[in-house]
Amino acid sequence: MGPTAKDMDALVSRGYEHGFVTEIETDVIPPGLSEDVIRQISLLKNEPHWVLDYRLKAYRHWLTMTPPAWASVHYPPIDHQAISYFAAPKKKPTLDSLDDVDPELLRTYEKLGIPIEEQKALAGVAVDAVFDSVSVATTFRENLAEAGVIFCSISEAMHDHAELLQQYLGSVVPHTDNYYAALNAAVFTDGTFVYVPKGVRCPMELSTYFRINAQNTGQFERTLIVADAGSHVSYLEGCTAPQRDENQLHAAVVELVAMDDAQIKYSTVQNWYPGDEQGRGGIYNFVTKRGDCRGDRSKISWTQVETGSAITWKYPSCLLRGEDAIGEFYSVAVTRGRQQADTGTKMIHIGRNTRSTIVSKGISAGEGNQAYRGLVRMAQKAENARNHTQCDSLLIGDRCGAHTYPYIEVRNPSAHVEHEATTSKISEDQLFYCRSRGISEEDAVSLIVNGFCKEIFNELPMEFAVEAQKLLAISLEGAVG
Amino acid sequence: MSAADVIATDVTRVLADGLAHAGGAAANDALHAVRERGAERVRALGLPERRQEAWRYTSLGFLQRADYRPFMDGPFSELQMSDIEDLLLEGHQGPRLVFVNGHYAPALSTPGRSGDGLRVSTLAASGADALPADFDQIAAHGHVFSALNAALAADGALIEVTPGTELSDPIDVLHVAVGADEPVIFHPRHLFVIGQGARAALIERYASLGDSVYFNNVLLEIAVADGAQLRHECLQQESPLAQHLDDLNVQLGAGSTYRYTLAALGGEWSRCDITLRFAGEGASAELNGLMLARDGQLNDVHLDIDHAVPACSSRETFKSILDGRGRVVFDGRIRVARDAQKTDAALANHNLMLSRAAEVDTKPTLEIFADDVKCSHGTTVGELDKDMLFYLRSRGIAEPAGKRMLCQGFAEDVLHNFDDAAMRARAAHLLDQRLARSSE
Amino acid sequence: MLLSIRNLKAEVDGKAILKGVDLEVRPGEVHAIMGPNGSGKSTLAHVLAGRDGYDVTDGEVLFEDQDLLALAPEERAALGLFLAFQYPVELPGVNNTHFLKEALNAQRRARGESELDSVAFLKLVREKMQLVSMKPELLKRQVNAGFSGGEKKRNEILQMAVFEPKLAVLDETDSGLDIDALRTVSDGVNALRSPDRAVIMVTHYQRLLDYIEPDFVHVLAGGRIVRSGDKSLAKELEQRGYAWLSDGEAA
Repeated sequence: MGPTAKDMDALVSRGYEHGFVTEIETDVIPPGLSEDVIRQISLLKNEPHWVLDYRLKAYRHWLTMTPPAWASVHYPPIDHQAISYFAAPKKKPTLDSLDDVDPELLRTYEKLGIPIEEQKALAGVAVDAVFDSVSVATTFRENLAEAGVIFCSISEAMHDHAELLQQYLGSVVPHTDNYYAALNAAVFTDGTFVYVPKGVRCPMELSTYFRINAQNTGQFERTLIVADAGSHVSYLEGCTAPQRDENQLHAAVVELVAMDDAQIKYSTVQNWYPGDEQGRGGIYNFVTKRGDCRGDRSKISWTQVETGSAITWKYPSCLLRGEDAIGEFYSVAVTRGRQQADTGTKMIHIGRNTRSTIVSKGISAGEGNQAYRGLVRMAQKAENARNHTQCDSLLIGDRCGAHTYPYIEVRNPSAHVEHEATTSKISEDQLFYCRSRGISEEDAVSLIVNGFCKEIFNELPMEFAVEAQKLLAISLEGAVG
Repeated sequence: MSAADVIATDVTRVLADGLAHAGGAAANDALHAVRERGAERVRALGLPERRQEAWRYTSLGFLQRADYRPFMDGPFSELQMSDIEDLLLEGHQGPRLVFVNGHYAPALSTPGRSGDGLRVSTLAASGADALPADFDQIAAHGHVFSALNAALAADGALIEVTPGTELSDPIDVLHVAVGADEPVIFHPRHLFVIGQGARAALIERYASLGDSVYFNNVLLEIAVADGAQLRHECLQQESPLAQHLDDLNVQLGAGSTYRYTLAALGGEWSRCDITLRFAGEGASAELNGLMLARDGQLNDVHLDIDHAVPACSSRETFKSILDGRGRVVFDGRIRVARDAQKTDAALANHNLMLSRAAEVDTKPTLEIFADDVKCSHGTTVGELDKDMLFYLRSRGIAEPAGKRMLCQGFAEDVLHNFDDAAMRARAAHLLDQRLARSSE
Repeated sequence: MLLSIRNLKAEVDGKAILKGVDLEVRPGEVHAIMGPNGSGKSTLAHVLAGRDGYDVTDGEVLFEDQDLLALAPEERAALGLFLAFQYPVELPGVNNTHFLKEALNAQRRARGESELDSVAFLKLVREKMQLVSMKPELLKRQVNAGFSGGEKKRNEILQMAVFEPKLAVLDETDSGLDIDALRTVSDGVNALRSPDRAVIMVTHYQRLLDYIEPDFVHVLAGGRIVRSGDKSLAKELEQRGYAWLSDGEAA
């Protein structure tokens, strides 16, 4: 069983009890959104002028837009004037020791096998000198710099790599793309910039670094990864451990660019606070992720394991523009309690011989509802393009829902599209069989569900695959019976 | 004024014209009330916009090109049997009801005697008689055209098969369109009630004499009572310039069986909206359709299958063949309601593209709110298999003939479901003819 | 001469497969073309039948003095060339009888002969079915759909019997057949041997030659016919394998 709302509330309020006084009071802009606020953000961050222009353009466009209403998710309207758009660097309430942390949360960390120092970091306990994330980060960055890989925050990149940033920022997800992408472009706080030069194979998974630093990712995060010709990079976002976060709305934007023969593998494990059993609280995770296979033979692969958030709304997509480009989307989404997820992908085939694979596994339990929503478009020039889509839903309990909305648009006869979807439940027979062999019901469920998700976990970097499996088991505890 | 405004004005005008034309025709109070409600709904709904999910891919551009007038009395009253001889089904024994431009044509029909388990009447003739209890109870009027039909329907078949009756021959409902000087619109409206435990077969056909522009806006309500069985076969071969909308609403009682087979081959713009609701447990439905879209044709099928109660099964198989600048839209939704356990549903949609200019938009949707169900869908889009084509050529069959043979093979999956041999032969023949013309 | 292949060179995806094949076949002769995997045997069969994706870069093929390579596959069929496929495709929804009749009549039309009506056609097919001991119900089924490997091969030979080609090219007809099926298929082919009809058997194994005795045996290796002889050559191949031939060539 994951942390309950009460625990979370307790945890958060306890944090405040412990005298959370921010030393950077002056850096917090009062709630509300206006051009002045955006100017202030830009000023506080000491941004070049073109960034402010970009923000303002996005903001003005955002004002003309309405929130999307087509997804199968339900939530009260968000008051954007009630949100504070700048509190950076965002400091969370700090606890004195792990003893102050909710035991339920600790139990989860233990089950995930997370080292004690890292547990502290994740739970918001002040980290001692032994675990200096900054120095660890520095070591990693030195290794990367040797290979020529740029890996820094978007804020740093504005100054240090302005030319690259200016060239690519907003080139995949324009500020006009959708309501939340526009909002993000107007108020993004910070994020990550990665540039892998021609022919370079990034010497490490850009995940390890990120996991340590993940606790301070902002609410309007922006990620831009550019893989130049012939380069390879694997990036893991997020963390398997549940995270504390008081921000209700998360509207991130991720842009990937792959040039000729370049490959980007982007993996996400998302386990934000899902809200309580009654559906109170919890994160709204409204993310725009898109990869642009600009080059011939380029490849972008999205893998996601989505177990958290009250509402998930995301469609990591691939624009397959280069010839022989490849797009992949592998997804596991779990909804339970009152969680809602509307997720899927778009594969836009433009170049000849482009190929895409979509494998989506949805698990609904409790009163969770989820939808796979996908678009496969074969443009007129997409000669011999291929897509294969497999959407499988697993329902646990009779109060949940699983929905599939695939859109298939074909404009080229030589393109070939195959779509399959199935829905199943964990059968009594399967459970009984396992139990008669001495496996507990809970373990049996986890066994069956892991089997169901096997294809996706295989796509994750090894250590995260193991954690994702454990995470899945934890999120489904108590789902049956 | 935006384009949408222009069109919207049109529909209101079509409604006003139609209502003026109908005058005080509805002597029947119940029918009058249905029409009033329909008219109200037309005004409330307005024309669908592309933003609406159900019309996302369906262009209504033709509404801007043609200015439809209500169908006035015309040449149909002079039609003779010899005019429709080619359209008669070989070996057909059962009742035949012919509608010309939406109006019942007694001289061309052989309704058979009422009695013997069958009650046949028409909407126009229903007069002061009570309408069947199921009238307007099944149609959802989800879009403006269905509402327009409700407001303006002047005629149609009202057929009841009494409980326990087993009809030996199918009922043939033949629609014949005769061109007028200007584009006309008509709104036939039919109701078929298959009583408890009864068995019947219904043949629904659309044909035209000459190639003219008209909009055939059809509404069908079908109630299959508990334990009843209905075989429903539809062949649409409208004029190549016509618009055809078939709003089919089916309600299935407990333990009933419904089998529907569609060959939609004609029309410039053709759309079938099939709304099927399982109202009683243990019923089963099988829906098969073939859609042809040649140059300039749009062929659209929307399915809304509502598994509202437990333990029902449905099979949906829809295939399309596209050539030239043909367009096919398929939107198949299967919904499994909360507690509709033991539902078994499988939907398949396969599309064969013969041309570079054709477009397919397909969207098979599952909405599932129960866990103990078996649901699946499968979709493919592709061109003719090159190996198959080579095999045929290596056996001496040239490419055009080989393509047609493979298309026939592709269609066979659907067409073999026509129980009526004459229907099957006609559908296969028409398909081959049209493909041959297309490949010239 | 029924078939003359002269210096035939062909490529697949820019890769040279046939590098100068010469072969002459007279009516009534049975030739076996053997060779290791990848030697170009199937390519030769497909080039003769006119399949797309095989680019002939040099040489010529004459069929009764006509330029075969200039003809469409269906024109070759009408001339009397028949390829029995190694992997016959399935044609979903296409009825087997209908297919046979359409194909036969298309060939007859192309030759200026009258078409067979249904009665005459069915009589012909029934007669030919006995040759290959094919179950009559297979005629009612869809072409090759759901057929076993043996049934597919029998169906190919049935087609050969019905079309009565002047030259039949059997591409690995023995592959995937058990002994009984192989015997049935071979009996069918043998029954179709005649002074007017030639057969080219493409095979990897000599086992088929135990059942259909060839007049000539050729070894195709590295895209050329490296050795020709009578059926004793096949025996030699069986004992010594193919390696000694290519070694010899290299030497």
